[in-house]
Amino acid sequence: MTHDPTAAQVTLAPTVPARRSFFARLAGFAMFASLVASYGTFAVMAGRFLLPTHSRRKAWRRVAEIGSFQPATTRTVVAPSGERIVVARCAINGASTPATVTVDDFVALSSTCPHLGCQVTFEPQHQRFFCPCHNGTFAPDGRATGGPPFEAGQSLPRYPLDLRANLLYIEVPLDGVAG
Amino acid sequence: MSKLTSFLRERLPVDRAKLRELTNEPVPHHLKHGWFCLGGTPAYRFVVMIVTGILLAFYYEATPTRAWESVRTISEDVAYGWFLRSIHRWAATLMVAAVVLHQMRIFFTDAYRRPRELNWLIGMGLLHCTLGAGFTGYSLVYEQLSYWGATVAANLTDNVPWIGALLRRLLLGGDEYNAHTLSRFFVLHGAILPVTMIGLIVLHVTLIRLHGIAELRFKADQNSAPRFFDFFPDHLLTELAIGLVLMLLLGVLASLFPVPIGPRVDPLLTPDVIKPEWFFYVAFRWLKLFSERAAFASLGAIVVVMAAWPFIDGFIRRRRPGSEASVFVGIVAVLAIVGLTVWEALVAH
Repeated sequence: MTHDPTAAQVTLAPTVPARRSFFARLAGFAMFASLVASYGTFAVMAGRFLLPTHSRRKAWRRVAEIGSFQPATTRTVVAPSGERIVVARCAINGASTPATVTVDDFVALSSTCPHLGCQVTFEPQHQRFFCPCHNGTFAPDGRATGGPPFEAGQSLPRYPLDLRANLLYIEVPLDGVAG
Repeated sequence: MSKLTSFLRERLPVDRAKLRELTNEPVPHHLKHGWFCLGGTPAYRFVVMIVTGILLAFYYEATPTRAWESVRTISEDVAYGWFLRSIHRWAATLMVAAVVLHQMRIFFTDAYRRPRELNWLIGMGLLHCTLGAGFTGYSLVYEQLSYWGATVAANLTDNVPWIGALLRRLLLGGDEYNAHTLSRFFVLHGAILPVTMIGLIVLHVTLIRLHGIAELRFKADQNSAPRFFDFFPDHLLTELAIGLVLMLLLGVLASLFPVPIGPRVDPLLTPDVIKPEWFFYVAFRWLKLFSERAAFASLGAIVVVMAAWPFIDGFIRRRRPGSEASVFVGIVAVLAIVGLTVWEALVAH
């Protein structure tokens, strides 16, 4: 049971000056405020302690000099996190002179399913990517063709690419529990 | 002897008559039938889990580099490690089964109805803690399923309104599965969830004690006076007998079907056939049927309806006295759960 200060006040009122009851109330309030402040501070510190500080670190890596990267071929990049990333140069534009090549001529599909993060595998017999977790399927260009990702309109994500001074760069994750 | 007794009496000033009155709960006659005693079964499993869990924690190491290896050590090198790990795992399986059966029996005998709604809510809390402990438990083994299950679960929490992204970061200790993730699961599994469950079990039993066990009459004795028997020693003996059967069952299962250890985590390869533990088959199949948001929202709605069912049922019966809605809903729910579980069990994808 908690002590009821108002009850005490009623019985004490005739004998105790109002000033003292004011200070008693002030002390009670100060005590309560300090309790809230100290435990609150502790709660904030604990919460901040549990909240992760670092995001997954990423960095740009060079893939190839585009002159040596022929249309309709692929290059494999191994990220420091262990992921093997296939970078493909498309054949559709037919552009072979480096001057007309843009970053859009290259694709680096992620193999991480946009639904809930499992790894998709390519099934050559069906010409599709398949996610074994919840039966999502994707066309070779990454478009969702079936399962939960198709219903939600999610395609396979792509790694960011950049083209600078005839060199193709890719942004890859540095950390991971693989390896 | 009498000196020791008086020594203890003085130091433990307990009124024996009062203590007896306080603890010797009158037990309704239907609990003479063992299958109504399902509530004690998960509690018994829980004790087994605590004891074997503490033992396993002596060897387990919650780091990505050592976790799988330490589980292998427990299973293959440590004396009786395989047996204790198998007991832990089988007790978990049977605990989930017992919790579900207990909830079904409470549902179909209307024992959740006024004034016992709060105890149904506490029971729902215990159900979720049990499932959470099961999930974090198999995440610790660090076999392929551990990693992919955790990844899927973390991505699912993103769908929780407003705080989803924060929850996900708190659960994983980062944006993705990383070096800190396993220790978070270990703390959840070995400290936070069990302590929460002990608190909830105390509340659960206290409320049962305050309300009395919901009495159930069979057709034959509908008109007779309520019959009760003593908790001590009658019901205690029943529970001890059930406990013996449960321990035998666990020992036999653990000996005949020792728990294997799957392939170590490979974050770059999801196995071609991957399934969670059987008690998540329902949710797993559900996730395959709809888009992520629709599946998550509907699962959330089902859980909310389940938790609020005593109040919904009360509302229905005030509107239409004598309504059989709860029986109908219960049968549909059981059929759906069994159907989806069997479906998932039978197919590869």
